[in-house]
Amino acid sequence: MKTTNESDEGVVFRKSLGHYSVRIDGQEIDCELSSRLHKELIYHTSASLKHKVQSIREVDKADPVAVGDRVRFVDAGTGRGMITEILPRRSKLSRPLPVPGQRVFEQVIVANADQVLTVFAASSPSPKWGLLDRYLVTAEAAGLPSRIVITKMDLATQNKSLEQDLEIYRRIGYPIHLVCSSTGEGREELKQALHGVMSVLVGKSGVGKTSLMNALQPGLGLRVKEVSQGDIGKGRHTTSHLQMFDLDFGGRLVDTPGMREFGLWDISPEDLASLFPELAPHIGQCKFGLSCRHDNEPGCAIRKAVMAEQVSPYRYQSYLRLREEL
Amino acid sequence: MRNHHASSFGDFRCGNCGALVSSMQTQSGVNNRNHCPYCLWSCHLDLYSSGDRLSACKAKMIPVGLTMKKSRNKYQISPRGELMLVHVCTDCESVSINRIAADDDPKTILEVFRNSLNFCLHNEDEISILRNEDMVIEQLFGMRIPA
Repeated sequence: MKTTNESDEGVVFRKSLGHYSVRIDGQEIDCELSSRLHKELIYHTSASLKHKVQSIREVDKADPVAVGDRVRFVDAGTGRGMITEILPRRSKLSRPLPVPGQRVFEQVIVANADQVLTVFAASSPSPKWGLLDRYLVTAEAAGLPSRIVITKMDLATQNKSLEQDLEIYRRIGYPIHLVCSSTGEGREELKQALHGVMSVLVGKSGVGKTSLMNALQPGLGLRVKEVSQGDIGKGRHTTSHLQMFDLDFGGRLVDTPGMREFGLWDISPEDLASLFPELAPHIGQCKFGLSCRHDNEPGCAIRKAVMAEQVSPYRYQSYLRLREEL
Repeated sequence: MRNHHASSFGDFRCGNCGALVSSMQTQSGVNNRNHCPYCLWSCHLDLYSSGDRLSACKAKMIPVGLTMKKSRNKYQISPRGELMLVHVCTDCESVSINRIAADDDPKTILEVFRNSLNFCLHNEDEISILRNEDMVIEQLFGMRIPA
C-alpha cells in the first residue's frame, strides 16, 4: 500500500478551469496544481554551498501544465490528487496569451505531440490561408510535422479556388487530407496517418474539428453545433476545453477549442524564413547573406525565387506579414 | 486565386525623387496609390491585379508613356477612354498601366508624353503608346494650350 507522500506518474488527458484529468492505468484522477508549480525556485549554482533556495521567480506561463504532459502527482484517494511535478517534454506547441494589463504569457497548447493537424473547412467558414501559415510556422518551430486537413468536402463546390490554393501547399510537401465527416470521405486515409502517434487538431471555431473526432471514433458523442446561419459561417465555440482521446485504432488525438488568434511565440525574425520549408533552401544565398531580411534588399535570393515562381507570392507575403509582427 | 487584400502601405517616400507621398484617397482620388505625383515613378508592387501588392520584385518603375484605356462605362467622362500612365520595371522589365491620380503633376505627364514619342514598347500590340499630342493635352487640360 502506498503512503500519501509517494507520487505516481500519469498523463494529463484533459484540463478545464484549474482541474486536470490525469490518467494512470486506465483510471482518471481529478488533480489540482501544487502552488509550487507556479513558481520557479532558484538555487545556488555553486556546489560548495548548501542546497538552499536563493530566490523565487513567477513562472511566465499562462498554465504550467498542458494536455499531453507527463506529470507526477500525489494521489489523495477518492479519485482526487495534486500534480507536483511536470516531467521533461519531448515537444510543445505554444502561442502567446495576452493577459490584459499584464505582459504576454506563453500558453502551451499541447505537450509531447508527434504531429499537428491543421483543420480548415472547404467552405463555411472559408479557409484563412494566412492563419494556416501561422499554424504551419508554429509547428515547424516546435519541430513537429504538419498535415493539412480540409473538412466539409461536401461543400467544396462553394469554394472554386480551393484546389488552386491547396496546390501551393502540396508543392511545398505538406500532406493534405480531404475529408467529409458526414459522408466518410477520406476518413480511412486519415486514420492511417494518425495510427500510433499523438496528434493535435488546431483550427478556428466551426471548421469541424470535433465532428472529425466523432467521425474518426464513433461513440465519443462529443457535442457539436451548426455554424451560425449568416453568410460568414462563423463557429459557435462549442468546444471550450482541451481534451485528449485514445483512438481505438491506435494513437492519441487532442481536440482543442477554436483558435482565431494565433500569434507566434519565441520565434525570432531571423529564424522565420527557415520555418517556411520552401524559403529555407535560399537562405544565405542573398547578397547580404544571413543579414538579409528578404524584403527590399537588393540581390535577395528569396525574392528572386518568388519572381522565378519557385515560391508562391502568397506564402512570401505571409512571411513578410509575420516578420512585421515579430 | 485566394482573395488577397493587401494592407495599405500608407504614406511613402518616393524611391526616385525622395518626395514624401500621401496615400490618402481623398487627395489622390485612387484606391491604390502606386506612383509619385511629382516625378510619376512607381514601384513594382502588384503582380496579378492592381493593389494586390504580391510582387516580390519591388524595383523602381519608370514612366515611359501614356495610353488610353477604354471603359465599358457609357457614362464615362471622355468617349475616348481614360488617360493612363505606362510604367516599365527597371529590373524585370514588366509593363503595367496605371490610373493617373488627381494630384499628379500635369506638366510632368506632358513631359513623359513628349519623351515617349520616340519610344517603342516590346508589346505595343497589347498596349499602344499615345502619339497624338492634341488629344493628350485635351485630356489633361480640357483645351489646346496656345503656343
